[in-house]
Amino acid sequence: MITELLTRLRYFFHPRRRDDFANELAFHLDQSIAQKTAIGVSPAEARRQALIEFGAVESTREQCEQQRPGWWISTVLQDVRYALRGFRRNPLFSISVVATLALGIGATTAVFSVVDRVLFRPLPYQDYDQIVSLGMVHSLEHQEFLMGRFYLEWKDNQKPFGTVASQSTGPHPCDLVENNPAQLDCISFQAEFLPLFGISPLLGRNFLPEEDRPNGPRVVMISYALWRGHFAGDQHIIDRNINIDGDPARIIGVLPASFQFPTLESADVIFPMALNPAIQQTTNGGFGNPMRTFARLKPGVSIEQAYAQIQPLFNGDLKWFPASAKSELRLSIRSLRDRETQDVQPVAWILLAFVLAVLLIACANVASLMMARGASRGRELAVRLALGANRSRLIRQALTEAFLWSFAGAVVGLAIARTLLAVFIRLAPTGIPFLREAHLDLRIAVFTMVLSFVCGTVFGLAFALQRPCSATLNARASISRSHALLRRSLVTLQIAASIVLLSGAAMLLRSFEKIEEQNLGMQTGRVVTVKVALPWFRYNTAQKSMQFYLNLESALRRLPGNRAVGIADSIPPGGWQGDFRYADLFVQGRPRTTPGTGGTVASRWVTPDYFRALNIPIIRGRNFADQDRNGTQQECILSRLLASRLFPSEDPVGKQIGNKSGVAGSTVVGIADNVQNGGLTEQSLPEIYSLWRNVSDDWAGNRVIFLVDSVMPAASIEPWIRSQIASLDRTVPVEMEPLKQTVSTLADRPRFETALLAFFAFTGLMLAVIGLYGLLAFMTSQRTQEIGVRMALGATKTNILSLIAHDGLRMVLAGGALGLGVALATSRMLKSLLFQISVYDPFTFIVVPLLLCLVALVAILIPARAGMRVDPAVALRNE
Amino acid sequence: MPESTDLLQGTLDLLILKTLAVESMHGWGVAQRIQQLSKDVLQVGQGSLYPALYRLEYKGWIRSEWGNSENNRRAKFYRLTATGRKHLETELATWDRLSEAIGLVLGRAAEASS
Repeated sequence: MITELLTRLRYFFHPRRRDDFANELAFHLDQSIAQKTAIGVSPAEARRQALIEFGAVESTREQCEQQRPGWWISTVLQDVRYALRGFRRNPLFSISVVATLALGIGATTAVFSVVDRVLFRPLPYQDYDQIVSLGMVHSLEHQEFLMGRFYLEWKDNQKPFGTVASQSTGPHPCDLVENNPAQLDCISFQAEFLPLFGISPLLGRNFLPEEDRPNGPRVVMISYALWRGHFAGDQHIIDRNINIDGDPARIIGVLPASFQFPTLESADVIFPMALNPAIQQTTNGGFGNPMRTFARLKPGVSIEQAYAQIQPLFNGDLKWFPASAKSELRLSIRSLRDRETQDVQPVAWILLAFVLAVLLIACANVASLMMARGASRGRELAVRLALGANRSRLIRQALTEAFLWSFAGAVVGLAIARTLLAVFIRLAPTGIPFLREAHLDLRIAVFTMVLSFVCGTVFGLAFALQRPCSATLNARASISRSHALLRRSLVTLQIAASIVLLSGAAMLLRSFEKIEEQNLGMQTGRVVTVKVALPWFRYNTAQKSMQFYLNLESALRRLPGNRAVGIADSIPPGGWQGDFRYADLFVQGRPRTTPGTGGTVASRWVTPDYFRALNIPIIRGRNFADQDRNGTQQECILSRLLASRLFPSEDPVGKQIGNKSGVAGSTVVGIADNVQNGGLTEQSLPEIYSLWRNVSDDWAGNRVIFLVDSVMPAASIEPWIRSQIASLDRTVPVEMEPLKQTVSTLADRPRFETALLAFFAFTGLMLAVIGLYGLLAFMTSQRTQEIGVRMALGATKTNILSLIAHDGLRMVLAGGALGLGVALATSRMLKSLLFQISVYDPFTFIVVPLLLCLVALVAILIPARAGMRVDPAVALRNE
Repeated sequence: MPESTDLLQGTLDLLILKTLAVESMHGWGVAQRIQQLSKDVLQVGQGSLYPALYRLEYKGWIRSEWGNSENNRRAKFYRLTATGRKHLETELATWDRLSEAIGLVLGRAAEASS
């Protein structure tokens, strides 16, 4: 066995010499001749007979050669060499195939790697599809929440769920007090929480029921990141006592590295929730603390059934809410995936659709290129077959070529995918879940590779398999009608697909333009916002804070080039602002509006300079006056929108209004023009500005933002501001940002989406145009002779031009019409991404086809020009 | 010339091995020997002889070396290797069993028809 193997290996590495065989056969022949002469045949005749008996030497040599182990490898190498020679001979063709494949593979892989986690990949929980998020939603809070009182009631009375467990809403900052102090995020969940998700701790154990009780022992679990980072992965961390916010706590478990809160928040330290039913009935106005609740459906129960079963509990609880809140509360039960990614799912699907269209175009391109190559090689194949090549060998050759191309395409494609993914992650705004952790998905890389390989092979093989008729040998080049038709339809399809892509991208671009151009109702160019976080232990009364901020205000007013220094608790157009319900607003001497109608009103506390700094015009009445800040009268300014809703037919100035949550009598002193305050893409809310007075009550909150409007550029004013703050208290942390930049950050997400989709649309367009050009150029070169004959018979250059252009234009028009139809039919998919643009935006649907025609025209004219330049004499002689 | 009989590849291999088991020989010699021994029934053309010799050599059953022929010409001689000899024995045993079995079947068939 071993010797046999060794022999094989020896011959594998040392092929026999060619003359060895020749000598051996020569000897054989000589012996045969000698034998015949020995029985009396003449030497010449003997030689003749011997040669006849002998038969074909070359075929024997080949057969002997084929006995060699590893012979097939040498044929593969031969095929590869042949293919590479072919590539070199026709580099443009090879480059277009490889580039097309690379773009298709690269783009698809990168995008799939991004959307995979959002749309397809299993969530990292056991039987995650049975876990739901349940609770109430409200116009101000779109993620399910439950108040403690209702949670306890639902948990006891529900039927559709196996386990129900809660975590606290959002992590809160907490301090790890030790020699190496750190600020951490703390959160709490119930003992049932981890088992619900099928998670067990990496080290230690979960909370015990007796620890998850009021006044239970102070124990905590810590995150993997904290364990690795702060505690250096100490294996003996369990039962260690640490000090959180001044109180000792015992570590009982470490969460696994893969654990992810279903709310996608991150926290370092987890306390048991220790719900106290008695307290949940009394605290927070009898509602209890808000929490996030998750539950596992019992087997066979659908989300709809669970919804129907929980509905009565929800309805029963509504009686606790004021009438105004009732109509805005809804019961919501969503799958975990929807809870995590619902708002990015539309973008993810659209992105996927876009990139699949690009892949389709790329595949069509490859197919079309391969068919062109096959057609032009029909004669070569026929010759090879006639010379005795066997069919399987030709097929193997075609496969080798397809494989080489796919391989080259895949290598370049993976490089493109890596780059694209890096660019995505770099450009991506915060708030798109999972994007930053996205990594190259090899499964999909392999899938796209196989797809493009199959695509190239099928069309490459179609020709190798075709039984060539004898006519092929004679014909200079024949392109059969059915194949020409197939290629034409492929190009038409490509054009249609690129129209769909382009119109989608164009609508997004238009929408983005609208977002950028929209009138915010205020100037942002010169304003720098300054936030100062005062440490609560030194500024522990509102009086102290007020004193600091007022000192800072007068210091900032002394800055060179200062125009205005305003103070506000929030700043439009996006981010946090003090919203309340329209129904809670009332006008003195008028009955209350119907509860639960009118949506929300934005509320902002401002100083008089706020309107000056942001250049918001007061269109009626007056601005707050500086001396009013020291007065006792509570004053407010309404936005134009709010004024027209509250006082449709009266002059609001001088009226007394108030809202339920306190201030009964606030005098309206003026009306300010509307400001965009619902984010960049949402409807603006009606708004009420309250005067921020110099009384300590007004300074109890921790949101204080200075708006510094200066003639000096932001970059040079910032060091001044810093030094002013440092002169008051050098320990307080300061955050500064030009308002313009804040606003621009709000547009990050639409900008990202638009850039991404536009990129793919143009990739698709490029591929389609290359496909169109390639087909026409090929057909023109195939028709050189025909053109020559036509010209010899008197066709003018214009005739030739129209002959070729006509062909191209027909494909463009057919593809354009088809694409436009599909685009119009599918543009509704984009609705959620569009801002102030109709899904049938006429501009888009006129400009995109025009653009495509223009580009296509170039792709048509280049080969048409080549056709016009055909010299009839040369073309005919070429026969 | 007597009609030559087509040989199955495996049979040809067996014949070559058996021939070489007696003494080492060149290709021409092998062909001649098979023809003689079969009383001119089996004629092995070079077209099938040499591929078979090469195949057997690649399998390591025979080995070749250049030497001088009877009439003092350079010729390539093949000889059986140890593995080749072992293989020949198993092949012969298989052949015997097979031909006996076939003989039995054919013999019975002949009896039944007579």
